[in-house]
Parts: sequence; C-alpha cells; structure tokens
Amino acid sequence: MTDDKDVLRDVWFGRIPTCFTLCQDEITEREAEPYYLLLPRVSYLTLVTDKVKKHFQKVMRQEDISEIWFEYEGTPLKWHYPIGLLFDLLASSSALPWNITVHFKSFPEKDLLHCPSKDAIEAHFMSCMKEADALKHKSQVINEMQKKDHKQLWMGLQNDRFDQFWAINRKLMEYPAEENGFRYIPFRIYQTTTERPFIQKLFRPVAADGQLHTLGDLLKEVCPSAVDPEDGEKKNQVMIHGIEPMLETPLQWLSEHLSYPDNFLHISIIPQPTD
Amino acid sequence: MEEDEFIGEKTFQRHCAEFIKHSQQIGDSWEWRPSKDCSDGYMCKIHFQIKNGSVMSHLGASTHGQTCLPMEEAFELPLDDCEVIETAAASEVIKYEYHVLYSCSYQVPVLYFRASFLDGRPLTLKDIWEGVHECYKTRLLQGPWDTITQQEHPILGQPFFVLHPCKTNEFMTPVLKNSQKINKNVNYITSWLSIVGPVVGLNLPLSYAKATSQDERNVD
Repeated sequence: MTDDKDVLRDVWFGRIPTCFTLCQDEITEREAEPYYLLLPRVSYLTLVTDKVKKHFQKVMRQEDISEIWFEYEGTPLKWHYPIGLLFDLLASSSALPWNITVHFKSFPEKDLLHCPSKDAIEAHFMSCMKEADALKHKSQVINEMQKKDHKQLWMGLQNDRFDQFWAINRKLMEYPAEENGFRYIPFRIYQTTTERPFIQKLFRPVAADGQLHTLGDLLKEVCPSAVDPEDGEKKNQVMIHGIEPMLETPLQWLSEHLSYPDNFLHISIIPQPTD
Repeated sequence: MEEDEFIGEKTFQRHCAEFIKHSQQIGDSWEWRPSKDCSDGYMCKIHFQIKNGSVMSHLGASTHGQTCLPMEEAFELPLDDCEVIETAAASEVIKYEYHVLYSCSYQVPVLYFRASFLDGRPLTLKDIWEGVHECYKTRLLQGPWDTITQQEHPILGQPFFVLHPCKTNEFMTPVLKNSQKINKNVNYITSWLSIVGPVVGLNLPLSYAKATSQDERNVD
C-alpha cells in the first residue's frame, strides 16, 4: 500500500504556477504589477487568492472594488470547481505560467456563483462531500461522523494539511469487505463543447459478472463520443490531475486515489493538441 | 416503491407529467423542459410576486390574483404605462423561476430557483435568506449554509439557489408510509413540493392533492 499512499500525496501537493494580471478595464491609481503564485490543484481559487486580492486592491480606490472574479482567455473561472480541473479543462495545452486575469467589476451573474465569504466555499465543499457519500455509502459514513470530523476535513483542505485531512477522509474511502468497491462511483465528466456543465450518472465499480469496471468502461457507457476508436486517430485526451490515466485502470482504484478532496473524480475530456 | 422511499428517475418523470397535467387544468404554469442533449429535463414555473417593504408576501394565488401570472410577457406588456411603473416601484415586483430537477445521487427531486427584480438585477443569497417565511426562519438560522445556497444548475450551468436535498428522504419517508397505510395514492411531487415550496414562497393550491385521489377513484 506504500506506493498507493504516495499517489495520494502527489495528488494533494500538485501545484500550478500562475500569473495573475489585473484586467485593463479596472481603474487604478498606480500601475498594477502582475502577481505570481503556485496554486494548489486540489483547492479552490477564492480559497487561496487572499494575497492576490490584497496585492491589486493596494493600487485601487475603495469605491472601484467589488467582488473579485477571475477569467482565462475570455472564460470566467468557476471558483466552485477545483483549480486542477479548471486548468486541465481550459488551459492544459497552453504554456506555463497559467495567465489568469483578475476583475473587480462587472461580475458575470449568469456564469459565476457569488463567493461572499469562506463560508460559501466550505458549504459548497461539504455539500459535494455529502453527495459523494450518498453515492458511495448511502450517506452512512458522512452521517455517522461528528461535526468536528466534518470541520477537520474542511480545515485540512483550507490549511493544506494532508495528514489532518486524510485522517478523516480515509473513512470515506472504505467499503465492506464482501463488496469489491463503493455502491456507485462519484464522478463528473467535463467537456467545454457542451451547454451542460458536466455529465454525472449512476455507475457501479463492479460489473454484474464481478469484473472491475475500468475508466474506459465508464466513458463508453456515459460519454461514448469521447472514446476514440482503437485503430483511429487520437482525438481526445482524458485527463485527471494533469495526467492521462490508462483507460484500463479500474475505476474503484481511481476513485480511491485520484478523487479530489470533495471525493469526486473530476474527469476532463479535451481535444488532443494538434502540434 | 423501494424500502427507502427513494424514487427512480422514470418514476420522477411520470409523477412530474401527472403534476403538469393538473397544473394545466387549473391554469397554473408548470411545464416540462427537456434538456437538449440528454433524455432528462426539468419541471419549471415562472412566478411574479410583490414584495411589500421588507416583508415578502406568502399568501396563495387565490388571495393575490395579481401575483400569479403564468407568462413573463403578461407582466411585461403593461409596463409601457408610466402608472404601472410607479406602482411596481412602490411595492417591488420579484420574478421567481422555480425548477424541479432529479438528483440521481440522492434519488429524490431537488428544488432550484432564481429570483430577480424586473430590471434584471438578481436577488442575493442574503435577500433569499431574509425572505424566508417567519415560521421557517429559526430552523434556517440554525444552519443557513446547509439549507439554501447558490449552486450551479446541473443542466443549464447557471447560478441558481437550491434547497439542499440531503434531508429529503428523511421527511418524505413518513409522508409516503402514512399514505400507504391509508391506502391513498399520492403524487410524490405534490407531497414533496407542498412541504419544501412554502419555505421559498412557492405555495401549491390544494387541488393538486385532490386531483391525485380523484384519478385514483376513476381507476377503481
């Protein structure tokens, strides 16, 4: 199991070098220098950008500042998606650092959820966790936990404490010995080409004949358009945490090791880069 | 029905269709909107309500004839008239859009909604919390972030408010058990929406409940 524990650490400590630039439409009193930051893949934009906010607010007048929001190449960035997912889905084929534009006005009400406080992020994170456990264990594990355990999961993420988080999260990754996995796998599949933000369906980790379902089986079942024919040209990349896992990987293993802290597997389907 | 009183997606859609049928009979404006790329969809209704000062009106459509207009256009037309604008400004009109979706994770229906003033300005989460009827407020304030928050609409991808579904099964089980006991055929959507709707200003005419039992009699 030691090898697999390393995977959890690698996933947790994944970072994306990012350059934040203030949008040119914003009114400043002095020139705003860009701000560089290593963003944790498993966290949320509004949870780790207090310094970015402070940096740009220094050159702005109070009356020109309203809720901060972020944009990449014209697309408003959804803070409620984990950072790693946003990068994989929208920017994985472009050069580093990731160039994010910062805005303080014209909040895109039709595209983004408001993030009035850290409470909003905590509420979103916990509601994802609960939903994931509804799928995995009919909510039994999360409901049996105490309030302080829920707090520890959140604080672990907020303070980037791997051990603190995993001390509790490992309970959410258990399943009865007589089963070969969870009841259903919590996953979401994202593509930028659809109006629907993601595909989410019920999918079991084990087939009726006892065989373990693989990542390829999942894609064939719920998103066949993403699967390239074996003899044909590779058109799509299937990406989790910046890598393309082999399609033969058992889904249960992926769920236990490559899920984000919210306990979902966030899978990006992106066009194969042409160069 | 399963022991846990979950409802499957097919059953959900059937109960929605039944619900919409009665809605059409009584001139309520619920309709089904299929999603573009999939076999699923959602049930939706647009509703205008007058906000008197800081107190939201939660009276039913029968006493507030002017609050229950089925179509968006129906309200927007007379706005060319200056007099109407004045009236609307004095007691602000809020447009509510209610969506009922199926959650495959919880296997229950979920109520999404958004609200805006007539100029398009959206209500904030704080506005929504403050607008919750007095009799639910104590409960709300115990855990507002576990009850109503803003979330992404899973089909449209746009921000909506949502009434959290994780307790739905808990309160629906006794309702359904009881109706089984007295051998009454209930529509899940009617029972569920009559419980959760009033929390956010959505009141269901009583005739929905009567309609189901009448249908049953016809079958017998």
